[in-house]
Formats: sequence, C-alpha cells, structure tokens
Amino acid sequence: MSGSSVNETKATRAIRRLGVVVVDPFPVVRAGLATTIEASPGLEVLAQASSAEEAIAVVGGVRRTRVVVLVAMGLAGDKDSYWLIRTLRERFPGYAILGLGANADPHVVSRALFVGADGFVDKNIELDEFLAAIKSAGNEEMVIAGPAAASVGKIAEGIERRRSVGLRLTRREREVLAVAAEGLTAREIAERLGVRERTVTTHLARIYGKLGVGNRLAALRMAARSGLVSIGPAE
Amino acid sequence: MAGRPHTHLAFRLSGSLAGMDVVHAVVAAGHPVVRSVIDIACREAGVTVLAKVETASAAIEACRSRRPELLVLDLELPDADGFRVLSELDDVDRPAAVLVLSDHAEGDLVLRALRLGARGYVTKAEGLRDLSSTITRVLAGERVIAPGMEQDAVLALGRFARRAREGAEVAAHLTSREHQVLELLSDGHTMRQIATRLGISPRTVETHVAKVYRKLGVRTRVQAVSRAATLGLVEL
Repeated sequence: MSGSSVNETKATRAIRRLGVVVVDPFPVVRAGLATTIEASPGLEVLAQASSAEEAIAVVGGVRRTRVVVLVAMGLAGDKDSYWLIRTLRERFPGYAILGLGANADPHVVSRALFVGADGFVDKNIELDEFLAAIKSAGNEEMVIAGPAAASVGKIAEGIERRRSVGLRLTRREREVLAVAAEGLTAREIAERLGVRERTVTTHLARIYGKLGVGNRLAALRMAARSGLVSIGPAE
Repeated sequence: MAGRPHTHLAFRLSGSLAGMDVVHAVVAAGHPVVRSVIDIACREAGVTVLAKVETASAAIEACRSRRPELLVLDLELPDADGFRVLSELDDVDRPAAVLVLSDHAEGDLVLRALRLGARGYVTKAEGLRDLSSTITRVLAGERVIAPGMEQDAVLALGRFARRAREGAEVAAHLTSREHQVLELLSDGHTMRQIATRLGISPRTVETHVAKVYRKLGVRTRVQAVSRAATLGLVEL
C-alpha cells in the first residue's frame, strides 16, 4: 500500500490521508477497526497485523512520514503489547503509537505510556471520538480518550513509580531480575547470563537493597508492578 | 449567584460525599479576601468550615487535628506552595475531597494536583464566581477541572511520560560509578574534589565525566546537570 513516490506531485502528497496501521490479535476486531478507519475521510489503513512480530515487519514496510500505529493491549506471550510499543518507539521514533484497550486499568495505561505510547484510546468510546483521537495522534498530540481520561493523576503516579524503580537499577541488574522472574535458581541464572553464580547472588542482594525488599518474591512483585518484568500472562 | 454560568468538564467518580449529613471543611488561602470568598461559598454549599488558615503548615496541622472531609486549598500560600500540604499529609489525614485554587492555568500544575489526589482544580480568576456549585459537585464525587485545562493536563502527562522513559533509559546505561560522579558534579564539586571523594585519580574522573556527557548527549557541565535534573537522575 505504500505507493511509489517517483511520479507523485507535491499536490497529491498534500492531500494524502493519514496512514494508520492496525494491530490487534482478533481478526474480527481488526477488520472492524480497519473498516471504520477506512470509512473516515482523511484516514487510510496502510496495513494490519495480528502479532507483535508481524507488526514490526509491516510498519517497516510503510513509506510515510506520518503514521499512527494502533496497538491493542491484548497481545500475549514474550512479545506482548508492551514489547511491541517499546520496539516501535525505538525503531520508528517519528511514528505515533496509540495503545488501544477496553476499560483499561490506569496501570495498563501508565505502563503503555512509559514504554513509549503517545496516547491511549479506549474501545469503549463513541466512534467520532475514536477517529478524532487517531487524528490528534497524527498531529503529534497526546491523547487519552475514554474512561482513562478520568484517571490522569493515577496514570501519572503509575509512571512515576515505574520511573523510580527503573532509575534505581542498572541494566545488568534488570537483566538478572528478568531472568529471575522465570523462576530460575541463582546457578541457572548464572548459566544463562554466562557469569559466575557468586556474581548473580551479589546482583540479587544489591537489587533487594535498592528496592528495599528482603527476598526475591518481593523484588519480583515490585518489579512486575513497575513494569520491569512480566510475570504470567499479559495484562 | 450573579455570575454567568461557567462550564466545566466533569467526570463522575466514586466516593461521593453527597449523602453525608454535614460536611466539614478546612480552608487554606494566603489572601484574607480569598479566604472569606471560600468561606462564603462553603456556607452556600451547606458546608461547615472548621478552620480558616493562612499558611501551609497551619493547613497540615488543621487537617491532622480536625479531620475535615473537604479541603479547599489555595496553591499560593506564604510559607510554601499548596502541593506541600498535599504531599505531607498521608492517606489517612488527607481529606476525601480536595479542591485546589490557583492563579495559574498550567497543565503541569493541574497534573501535579491530580497526582496528589486533588479532585478539583479551578483558577481564582475564573473559578471564584461559582465556587459554591463547584464545591457541591466535588463533594458529589465529580472531578472538576477548569475548561481547557483537562487537555493541558493530558499534554503534561505526555511530557511527563517521555521524560520518565528517557530518564530510566539513560539511568540504565550509567554505571554505578558514573552515577556517583554525576551526583557529585550536580552538587557543584570540582573534578579534583570528586577524585578525592571517590579515592580515584583526576584522570579517571575525567574519563567518567566524558562518558556521562556522552550518555546524556551533552557537552558541558551545566548542560549535564540540567539534563540530569530534567530526567530525574539527580535532585537539585
């Protein structure tokens, strides 16, 4: 859908519609979103994807300067919606990323914003509001549309909590914690990371100290709440 | 009230105090005129005012000892800003409903008030005219933010999220040593002083500083300190 730019004139480019990429694991939802967006003047669906990896691939194939990527928060597995948002943010810094959820908890919204989303839209809103939110995101505006708009303060608190835990741990400590979240022993973590077991226990002790907790479970709970590690199924 | 009706964006929240027999309030405002306007508005809204105070410290004290259900709080207080009152009160002592009044209509301030648990934010220029109805709505569990400021708060949230993300990213790339060096730099220590403090050679400090600058994407110490403060890596 990316169209060749060779014989395009400035005029046709100026009236070009805002491109949207739709990422949602459910085919029916995806089709509904795409149809709705296509029917709106000024918007066009450039591509659709059902998983995070597929999304990275199709977004990479888009040749546009202004793109809005709609990411449903329901992607599960290792490469969940948060992973996708973070990766899109790193690889395509100029594109707008909108999280898309249903009656989302402020925790979900703050985590999505923290990993790089430019806004959050709830599926539980009127159609014109939904389309307006996409257009605002295309204009580089921050949008929070739907029930989450009433929790701006809580969302900001959630971001602050993530930030404060994130600031305290080094990259290596975060890696250790992420592997520890899989339930491995210190020896297994050491093997995985290619370091000595002693080094791992030192890292863990330092992590507990920084987070002000006494054991691994408490550290993991805190890290999970701050979005540093994922435990169990995706939110 | 004589004033023209004034539209506010409102959201229904849980925690309505509307069913209570009598609502008690503490009023905190720096200026005596503002204090009495709030006092009158509270009475119009059927709220009993327990205390009218001028300073942040008196407001904290009054909330702790009198346990009001409502706090009407002017951000511009003589001894500290009103945020101080909200951040010093723990969840038990913080009144269920907090209405903030301010001279300034800025998204960052609204966001900060909301983060600290405020349920309403109106400006003194616009909001004093229909304050009693605002008080009634806040007590009914509505969130009342002056027109236009809702979106400003969302924009502020976006900036806040970006800074938090960048800060955490940069922090993850700094070693513990580099972090120490950055903190000492921000405290205004010279390279030589930092070297003595950390028991390393000035040459090593220079290497650390160069790496910190590179990771922060800056060239000078002033830029480094200001960038680090913006990202929340150090406190000034």
